[in-house]
Amino acid sequence: MKNDKIIFWLQIASVSWIWIFVLGVAIWILNLIRVAHKINDALNASVGISIVAIPVFFTLAAILTYVFVGLQKDKHQGDVRTNQTGGIDSSWRGIK
Amino acid sequence: MSERQHSTFEDEQLIRPIEQTGPGFYLMVAVLVGVIAFAGYTYIRQILFGLGVTGLAQPVSWGFYIINFVFFIGISHAGTLISAILRLSKAEWRRPITRMAEVITAIVLAIGGLHPILDLGRPDRMLHLFTEGRLQSPLLWDVTSITAYFAASTVYLYLPMIPDIAILRDRGTRPRWLYEFLAWGWRGTEHQKKVLERAINILMVMVIPIAISVHTVISFIFSMTIQPGWHSTIFGPYFVVGAIFSGIAALLIVMIAFRKAFDLGKYLKLIHFQYLSTLLLIMSFLWFYFTFAEYLTGFYGHEPNEMRVFLYKFTGDYAPWFWMMGICNFLIPVVILVNPKTKKIPGILIASISVVIGMWLERLIVVVPSLANPRLPYPTGIYIPSLTEWSLFAGGVAVFVLAFMLFAKLFPLISIWEIQEGREKSVHAVAERLKSYLPDPPSEQLLSEELGNRR
Repeated sequence: MKNDKIIFWLQIASVSWIWIFVLGVAIWILNLIRVAHKINDALNASVGISIVAIPVFFTLAAILTYVFVGLQKDKHQGDVRTNQTGGIDSSWRGIK
Repeated sequence: MSERQHSTFEDEQLIRPIEQTGPGFYLMVAVLVGVIAFAGYTYIRQILFGLGVTGLAQPVSWGFYIINFVFFIGISHAGTLISAILRLSKAEWRRPITRMAEVITAIVLAIGGLHPILDLGRPDRMLHLFTEGRLQSPLLWDVTSITAYFAASTVYLYLPMIPDIAILRDRGTRPRWLYEFLAWGWRGTEHQKKVLERAINILMVMVIPIAISVHTVISFIFSMTIQPGWHSTIFGPYFVVGAIFSGIAALLIVMIAFRKAFDLGKYLKLIHFQYLSTLLLIMSFLWFYFTFAEYLTGFYGHEPNEMRVFLYKFTGDYAPWFWMMGICNFLIPVVILVNPKTKKIPGILIASISVVIGMWLERLIVVVPSLANPRLPYPTGIYIPSLTEWSLFAGGVAVFVLAFMLFAKLFPLISIWEIQEGREKSVHAVAERLKSYLPDPPSEQLLSEELGNRR
């Protein structure tokens, strides 16, 4: 039980780390826009790249968070575990 | 009965390499660690003595490190791109292939992405990127797009692994905490299945443009300059084609190696190799077409500086490598793969190795001759790689092999759930799909009317 808690908090930490990484990238790109503005460099190139790059990273983090939260919802349904032979219920993609 | 003893399910073979380790594994790891350690030593020496220990000298300021950077990033197109395209197009034969392809991408991207740092005499100056970088430079576009591709590829590798990780967790495979941690609470409920499928579908679509952008942007570090031999509008697609080409070849080599090592002949059948090698053949023709178009345009213009580079490649110092590139990338794969008699696993292996060598030579041909013959009135440069560069190249390859082996030691190399799903659902799904492609059969009413008219 104690191990479960530790693992859960490690999982939370890993998802948080993804957000820290993504926010770091966003801050970095915004800082480079600021630098371009400061030295009167081609600002539109920086803005153009940031418009494409920043949403990509945020989407990735959002997808991971969505999966994590979605999987956590049913994590205590112990009796629906992967089947005894070691395989999973392979109809899992057959969504009704 | 222990948790392990009840496991006799039909895909046991895929888990065996994780639960049993032979002496060959440790021997191989020791050899690879030795190669990596030597590469580490030469790199420390390079940091201490500067880039003077390499063969780099003006005007050839880019050598093996940048060649390997472009080469490794190209190989990364094996995975996520091929896997995403095959998944998206519902190619059923993809099932035993996708995982290996995705692993190649994640590992090779990490290795390739670090190569520009090797090229710096003062690697600590990388930190200036964070404070003083200029997004107007294609080099920064590279940093951004490679980081995005690496993040997307890792996520795209990880998410479809979750059900398989849960299998290992429930079998009690060690290290159990790792599988418990990575399984994210997967129990295989309908809700969880829905969530995971939705995420994979979004990623599948997202990853394709990111992958294409990566190699396009890498080509921009050359084509955005006005160096002869580089300043070309088709460099973007040319690089993407080359990347997919080398990626498929690398994937085939890995598949053949692990088929042999893990006895996976039951999963990786001749048909998989034949389908992939048909793709390799198509890419070989496409690569030839792009190469022909690229050089014909330069030759037809006959601009003196362009011609200097052109002749350096065709008849000068780099002619042996240039023609070797043509033989490896076109002649050998085409001769082997158009003949059904040689389009067997040994032949496919030879063709794939030939393509990997050929594509490395192509990167060499792109990078060095243009730098050796600059537009300015300098004498032609010379580039001979030093032991440091060779050892770091060997180190990069060793890191790749080692990382792949460690991955195979911890996770199944073939997606178990995808195989099980394939067995149970694909035959029916494909039959249904096939029906939907064909024209609908005439209804009974129409048939009886037709008969009535004939009478």
